[in-house]
Amino acid sequence: MRELKKYAEPLQKCAYCKFCQVSCPIYLQEIFEPDAGGARANLIEAVLLENKYPVSGRFEEIVDRCLLCTNCVQSCPAAIPIDEVVISARHQLRKGKPERVSYKLKKKFMEDRGFGALTGKLGALVSRTGILPGEFPRPADKAFSAISRKVYPAEGQKRGRVAYFVGCATNAFYPETALDVIRVFNRSGVEVIIPEGVKCCGLPALAEGDVDTAVEMAVANVSILSGLEVDAVITDCTSCGMALRTKALKLIPEADPLFWKAHALSAKIFEATDYLSKLGLASEPGAFNERYTYHVPCHRKWTPTLNDAPRLLLAQVPGAVRVEMEYPERCCGAGGTFFLDYPQLSREIKARKVEDVLGTRSSVLVTQCPACRSYLQAELKSHKVMHPLSLLARAYGF
Amino acid sequence: MNGLQKDLSALVGSEKVFTDPMDMHAYSSDATHYFASRNPDAVVLPAETSDVSKVLKYAFDHAIPVTPRGAGSGLSAGCTPIKGGIVLDMKRMNRIIEVNRGNMTARVEAGVVLANFHKTVERQKLFYPPDPQSLEVCTLGGNVATRAGGPRAVKYGATGNYVLGLETVLPDGEVINTGGMCVKQSVGYDLTRLLTGSEGTLGVITKINLRLVPLPAAHKTAIVVCETVEHAAKVTSEIIADGTVPARLEFLHKGAIGLMNMFAANKIPLNGEAFLFVELDGGRAQVEEDARRLKDLCERMKVVEVKVVESDQDAEAYWKARQNLNPMLMAIFKRVINEDVTVPRDKIPEMFRLVDIISKSLGITIGMSGHGGDGNIHPVILLSQLSEDLDKKAASAVEQIVKAGLSLGGTVSGEHGIGLHKAGFLDWEVGQAQVELFKRVKKAFDPKGIMNPGKLWPE
Repeated sequence: MRELKKYAEPLQKCAYCKFCQVSCPIYLQEIFEPDAGGARANLIEAVLLENKYPVSGRFEEIVDRCLLCTNCVQSCPAAIPIDEVVISARHQLRKGKPERVSYKLKKKFMEDRGFGALTGKLGALVSRTGILPGEFPRPADKAFSAISRKVYPAEGQKRGRVAYFVGCATNAFYPETALDVIRVFNRSGVEVIIPEGVKCCGLPALAEGDVDTAVEMAVANVSILSGLEVDAVITDCTSCGMALRTKALKLIPEADPLFWKAHALSAKIFEATDYLSKLGLASEPGAFNERYTYHVPCHRKWTPTLNDAPRLLLAQVPGAVRVEMEYPERCCGAGGTFFLDYPQLSREIKARKVEDVLGTRSSVLVTQCPACRSYLQAELKSHKVMHPLSLLARAYGF
Repeated sequence: MNGLQKDLSALVGSEKVFTDPMDMHAYSSDATHYFASRNPDAVVLPAETSDVSKVLKYAFDHAIPVTPRGAGSGLSAGCTPIKGGIVLDMKRMNRIIEVNRGNMTARVEAGVVLANFHKTVERQKLFYPPDPQSLEVCTLGGNVATRAGGPRAVKYGATGNYVLGLETVLPDGEVINTGGMCVKQSVGYDLTRLLTGSEGTLGVITKINLRLVPLPAAHKTAIVVCETVEHAAKVTSEIIADGTVPARLEFLHKGAIGLMNMFAANKIPLNGEAFLFVELDGGRAQVEEDARRLKDLCERMKVVEVKVVESDQDAEAYWKARQNLNPMLMAIFKRVINEDVTVPRDKIPEMFRLVDIISKSLGITIGMSGHGGDGNIHPVILLSQLSEDLDKKAASAVEQIVKAGLSLGGTVSGEHGIGLHKAGFLDWEVGQAQVELFKRVKKAFDPKGIMNPGKLWPE
């Protein structure tokens, strides 16, 4: 992702078919062609690869106004990795320049696994200056890393052993979600270990075009995770999982001895509901008598079964009635930390999602992505917003 | 701020006007970017008809070219602004104004995306059949301007069969309403039909009245395997002549099935040369009866195999695989040129033979799969490398395919339109006398020649 040139060939395959207009959240909000994923990639090609135009402020804005949601990649007939093209372009535009203030904060967030940046002196400063929009969640009293054990044994007959990669957002904001994931896996006969020393998945760094930092993180994570004797590495966060499964192996150079380990590891990375729905539950959950709807996070296509896994799993909960919203895959507007940089645009995108959710007359919204959860919860005051495995944990009586 | 930006902003509001070259780049072509592209000088995104009218009046007074645009997914360079000027991006005019169940009609703005319209009318158990492959992005305005069609044309016809009336802004800014909301109307020249398929050369279509039909209650899919292309063509004709007009009848070559099998869960055995995907629709009892008749007929005609797909889920999977065929080609090849020469149904085997000769003589791959039911087999030129030499060969292939189609009594374009891509072939089909008449009609609507200049016929 360091070199845009590597994408010259895939970019040639763009047929200008405009199928990216189907799903690009920015395009759907603005209905303006330069905002669609394919147009963005074509422009990057024209400016940075073919030097047809000089770099301009408007160009940088177009490159910047992308959520990296991968919706365009999912609807691209030629499967052009447009998200990586954008990351590469950002890398090229920003390398050698001083870090932006907003990124300094994000970097601290990654370094501290989400927590330190928001607590203590820095946290106080951040909330005093009001640079974070109201939707930004407050950190939990204690981060998951402060309360976690190393091993959580399986209940009953042991059916497997997994390592649980707890992402920064879950660590800082949703330690309860992490516990729910562990509870449900344990109840399903799976031992869960929490690997020590893992770093951020690197996605926020990639979003900034900071490939160097992302590589450091990928190297650290692959070294730790590939050495574990486990059946799989699970994540509760669809974005962390995507970064670990599909991006880490592209960040580690071929000459590096870790390269092949990264490839072997990639096949073992699973999103938690996906893994559990394939494994099957060991015991029947109790009743959960509420209507729920499922918001499908954007990073949903990195395994073929991920998209429907929460639906399949929660269909096994007696009493829980799933009500599909009209566009379950429509973006919520958060885009990781995109909403910090473009609050107004994000809110406009969110408004459609909220309308869609309210149309279901449900009381619970489930979705894996922590950014979606906190961003939507701020608006959906009367909904319980939770991870699908938290719903399952409630059904099991936890 | 440049002059055009300033003037247009004063007319319609600055939030609807764009002139930055970074933005213009996105509007420089349709899906034939390799064939022609040029940045417009300005893009205007009208919110209502009066915006269009103001922009056209201005363009008329200053003799500035105007090119209307839907999704930009076209395959004929029809909306490519080859003379620069103003592009009118109609996609923000996307309101479905009315769906009238009692009269089975709808009134929409030109920028409504086809799939959204399908969804809206189907919720009321109504049906709008035209289904070009780009239905998730293409707009109804673009569909009307190009007479877009799709697989369902065999039974239901293409877009042109559904247009009852149009609101159109003429090049001098005047707004006219042609046709109406009645399924029959006998009032002078049928300007609605003239504007339908006019590819933005006469005016800008802003609102459309469409005819709807009842949504069929049931569907059934059958896959027919034939030993040869000739036999498949005969079977196709017989199925329709027998009285069972399928909703879709797709003709797929063995090679295409092989590709589809690579990604499909339900693999289709490659036990023949040509495959027909047939979809029947209608009332439940009718569909069952039609499926039985189809099966009997195919067996009588001694096809290799005829398989009526029992589960709706499996049927959907087969159609999905069919839909993904073109995307797959795009992922495999560097360039995919989709032709739409259409021939009378009974001439399909002959067309196959001629295209095969063209393919072999030029040494390039041309796939043949498409809407067999209406004779619209899409020859697809597939290039795995890009070079000037191959571009020339591809252009020559297009020309020869057009000639082959015409020699069989076919047409230059079944559903993509002429645009720039086929402008050179127009007089081959309609003759010079008609081209001259076209030009006089154009002059009557657009005396200054500002509307989508350079299209339909060569300058």
